[in-house]
Amino acid sequence: MLFPTVQFGIFFPIVLAISWALMATPHLWKPFILLASYVFYAAASPVFCLLLGGVTLWNYGAARLIGGSADDRTRRRIAALAVSGNLLALGAFKYYSFFAESVARSFHALSLGVPLPLLTVALPVGISFFTFQAISYTVDVRRGLIEPATLIDVAIYLSFFPHLIAGPIVRAREFLPQLKRPRDPRHVAVSSGLFLIGMGVVKKVVIADYLGRTVVDPVFGVPQAYHAPDVLLAAYAYAAQIYCDFSGYTDIAIGLALLLGFVFPQNFHSPYRATGFRDFWRRWHMTLSRFLRDFLYIPLGGNRGSRLMTYRNLMLTMVLGGLWHGAAWTFVLWGTYNGLGLVLEHALAGKLRTPTWLRWFVTFHLIVLGWVLFRAQQIGIAWSFLGRLGSFGAPTLWTAPVLGAILITIGPQLLPERPIDRLQAWLGKLSPAVLGFALSVVILFVAATVPSQGVAPFIYFRF
Amino acid sequence: MERFDRSGTRRFRARDGLIAVTVAAIVLIVCSGASIRKQGEEMAPGIGRDVVLAVGRPAAWIAGQLPLHSAVRTMTGWLSPDTNLGGPGGFTDAAAFGTGDAIPAVTPDAFQPSQIGAPPPPKRALHTVLVTGDSMSEPLDLYVAQALAPDGVKVIRDPHIGTGISLSVLVDWSKLSTHQVRQYHPDAVVVFIGANDGYAMPGLGGRSVGCCSAQWAAIYAARVRRMMNTYRQEGVARVYWLTLPTPRDGARAKISLVVNAAIEVAAEPWRDQIRVLDTVPVFTPGNRYRDSMTVNGQPTIVRQSDGIHLNNAGSAFASKLVLGLIDQDFTH
Repeated sequence: MLFPTVQFGIFFPIVLAISWALMATPHLWKPFILLASYVFYAAASPVFCLLLGGVTLWNYGAARLIGGSADDRTRRRIAALAVSGNLLALGAFKYYSFFAESVARSFHALSLGVPLPLLTVALPVGISFFTFQAISYTVDVRRGLIEPATLIDVAIYLSFFPHLIAGPIVRAREFLPQLKRPRDPRHVAVSSGLFLIGMGVVKKVVIADYLGRTVVDPVFGVPQAYHAPDVLLAAYAYAAQIYCDFSGYTDIAIGLALLLGFVFPQNFHSPYRATGFRDFWRRWHMTLSRFLRDFLYIPLGGNRGSRLMTYRNLMLTMVLGGLWHGAAWTFVLWGTYNGLGLVLEHALAGKLRTPTWLRWFVTFHLIVLGWVLFRAQQIGIAWSFLGRLGSFGAPTLWTAPVLGAILITIGPQLLPERPIDRLQAWLGKLSPAVLGFALSVVILFVAATVPSQGVAPFIYFRF
Repeated sequence: MERFDRSGTRRFRARDGLIAVTVAAIVLIVCSGASIRKQGEEMAPGIGRDVVLAVGRPAAWIAGQLPLHSAVRTMTGWLSPDTNLGGPGGFTDAAAFGTGDAIPAVTPDAFQPSQIGAPPPPKRALHTVLVTGDSMSEPLDLYVAQALAPDGVKVIRDPHIGTGISLSVLVDWSKLSTHQVRQYHPDAVVVFIGANDGYAMPGLGGRSVGCCSAQWAAIYAARVRRMMNTYRQEGVARVYWLTLPTPRDGARAKISLVVNAAIEVAAEPWRDQIRVLDTVPVFTPGNRYRDSMTVNGQPTIVRQSDGIHLNNAGSAFASKLVLGLIDQDFTH
């Protein structure tokens, strides 16, 4: 079920009302919210509810065993087994075809006709997110940061519908404590929740989909048909599109959770304001960055070893982080590119004195360049796209709405105090009925911009 | 909640949230209740559709009693990215059935030169290609564009996801094809559509005819023929119409069989200008579904996991077949 759809528009008010009606009685509320989350997931694919349930049982069992064992080595082994199981599920569904096809190609190049069996494996929606959350739960139990939870709490944590499909990646130690006590109905961030929902819908439907339709998809599809001005515009447009698409989804997810009484961590913090790769990754998909830091980079040794070991750890983390986004060589290349950026920045730290504006300018354009690798469906298309930057010709896609959409996305991130924060504070003074009316007006105008084929899927649904 | 607490703002309660969401829902129902029903009607049959229609029908009735719907439409209509396909010329117009008492004349257009041993006409220069259809046309359109763009051929990709020839509530392909031809004047049109078909269509007298009888096939073929006639532009353009590769699902396979038969029948009067590219022998010989086939000596998955669409490899392969046919008619 997509957030900005009629189906979800019917689903959510019902769930919201029943959720608060049952909130005071956890033994009723918990089965209800679990059922609602599985209904939400089943709308995408009923079969994969079994996978979600299986991952839940697997991690619940592992955490129980870890909690029941006093021997650290045993705890470690169980955690390793549990994490391996999660990664196996992720690998089987997400990477098997990529792996099999790559092996087949390699064998073919060596004139060896022994490819792996080809299987058509559908990618379960949200698997990258719920397996990472499952890992965070089991490892945090192993580290003694949280106690093993009850089965229903683990099931709600992994399936809670606002974050189930595309995050943010909420850590178990952030979410499970919120399940311990019923949420307080006297203190709910209604204005922030509604504002985020409205904002997210506008970002996704009005800006991201518009840029995708008019500039990004045509140019990235056939870069050969365009000259440098349009290709350049498409690169900037994609930077704006992916930010609005993903942060729009996250805004809606956080807003829905707030209305239900739950708080999710922040996932974006003006990422195009970054003045370096490290700064960028502290602002972009923040919950993934900290997951990779806590569960990959630091366990690999982080920056505790030699300089070379630090570089190796950075590269490994970013390459695997790139591969997490999708089973394609373009994502591997994108991860490598970001890893190299981090290594270079680390190596040059303190050696170059450059003004902040220059650091921002260089960082922004390097990030935009990275997005070209991310967006291109094949490496050949990325090269073709970049090659067209040397082809001079008249612009055909530079229109005021396109430029406006790009500027309105990136510009406010560079301002010291974002006007949006002031708007949000002002909305916080209004009555709930006025807020509801304002949200409906926003939705009516946004709905008018949706083409007949409906809202395009969120980019991160594929991951 | 600390992150969301702001000084000077109200302290909201859960009840306030419910009030706000209820107000929003009421405004949306009053202003665009008909849209909810329309969305439901466009959905594939199932529980989701039933639920949306259960809400959408009364919502549409309520909206119909009030003047707000048209006021909102007036205010927001200019924002729509869709092509305005208002006016006559749709499938439901009587002319769309192609009825008449007289025996239709057989014209020379019905014969391909190769069929009668005649020399092929000289090739023409290719300037503009339109690739259109439903989701089946993606990413076929991309591969056609990637192949032709370096030669300076303008390739217009105009997919309309979720639409169907038998489903004119979403997009009326009779009107859309006319609009496409007027707007782009393509030399060649590649059409790949039918994955969403199988809906009941009004027959003569307005009676609904369900899939997949000969009567349904006849109505479908009449609609396809109408589109083909538009796209061929009185013989100026060439049309490359792909049949559906057999889907995995049995019920869909039955529909695709009828759709493919209707396409073949529809093309009969203009075999000289309309090339039906039968994908069945290529991807699903004997109408038996398969995920993979041998491409360039390698076993390759050619279908998407839904068992309906061609994946990238399959679409790339289909695009080569299309380009081969285009090369027989055009230079570029």
